[in-house]
Amino acid sequence: MAKNDITFYYFDLRARGEISRLILACGGKNYKDIRFNFEQWPEYKPKMILGQCPVLELENGLQLPQSLAVARYLARENNLAGKNNLESAQIDAVIDTQLDTYNKFLPQFFEEDETKKKEEMEKLLSVNMPILVENLQKLRQAYSGKNSKYFVGDSLTWADLFVFDSIQQLLHGLPGAKEKYADQFKEYLDPVTSDARLKEYLKSRPDFKVI
Amino acid sequence: MSNYKLYYFAGRGRAEVSRLIFAAAGQQYEDIRYEHSDWPAHKQEMPLGQMPVLEFNKTKIPQSLSIARFLAKQFNLAGKDNLEQAKVDAVVDTIADLMRKLSPLMFDKDEARKQQAIKTFQEEELPKHLQNLEKLAELYGQNGAFFVGGSLTWADLLFYEMNSHLLKIDPNVLQKYARLTKNRQEVEKQPKVSDYLKSRPETPF
Repeated sequence: MAKNDITFYYFDLRARGEISRLILACGGKNYKDIRFNFEQWPEYKPKMILGQCPVLELENGLQLPQSLAVARYLARENNLAGKNNLESAQIDAVIDTQLDTYNKFLPQFFEEDETKKKEEMEKLLSVNMPILVENLQKLRQAYSGKNSKYFVGDSLTWADLFVFDSIQQLLHGLPGAKEKYADQFKEYLDPVTSDARLKEYLKSRPDFKVI
Repeated sequence: MSNYKLYYFAGRGRAEVSRLIFAAAGQQYEDIRYEHSDWPAHKQEMPLGQMPVLEFNKTKIPQSLSIARFLAKQFNLAGKDNLEQAKVDAVVDTIADLMRKLSPLMFDKDEARKQQAIKTFQEEELPKHLQNLEKLAELYGQNGAFFVGGSLTWADLLFYEMNSHLLKIDPNVLQKYARLTKNRQEVEKQPKVSDYLKSRPETPF
């Protein structure tokens, strides 16, 4: 590793950390990808700015918490945040819309009460997923460039990466989602899987562990 | 004719942070407020059938925090460079974490259960969020009263708005938090913000 690369601290999961890893992979710059499991977390927790992760640590040691603040910072640093302020806002709106569903999903994925979990997951599948499908269509129609396969404008942005990652997690962790929605979401996954900058990373990154 | 149109209900809610940003910036805009009875007629006009929505140069943007961040960047209230903007976003997300825990409790129609849930929230959830905000202010605030970088950003305005809800539950909520108390006082003193706070309509929410 060169001098002091930036360091990304997160669990050895995708969950709320993968979006930043995808952005960094797309940007092509070196960084330290520190991953730990739940048993190791108590060692790292006191070193993290709010006792939470992910955390991005810059070369000078400054830490940034909050998964989306980190991802947005990295997206801007790597030219994946839109050509102007309005495009950046459109990207943010797509991501917030995806999060409306994802933020309901992730806590339930870790829910220990099996009865509650089953009930909530069924609601997500039957109520929230159809709304997500419709909302993503509407926003892409409004924000995508003419003849563009990307969510916002004419090139890949972190909106495409975020939707890609979040949908993959939903298809993996929401019972019934793969059967019902894999085909419908293909058009959101393809522009990312076919991007030359991501080829290496998508091939070499670890498979799903948990989520 | 203004370039900016903000659509919301006749209340503060999720639009108020954007109204505070417009006020702090001294920027004119159309402040469109729909009564609940009028809303169904306009729902189809909004990208996701929800509000708030910002219309800027004929483009409509949904999602309250995305709107606020856009406006803050338009008016130089989002942080001076990418790193400052990231610090501001981190503060905003920490405030949003708190709001996400509190909001659902406020809508419980069972009054006794609601009061119990709020009490539990105050004892078990709230302290760690306020401590986190104090910590970020300490690390990012350059010893000034504002959260990031020594000048007003939308993080301060969002905290101000969020805190007004907390004060209704407990007027002494910021007692133990010196930085957060000073922050609130400083925001209230900003001339354009102060004028707006005095003149804005009184609404039930």
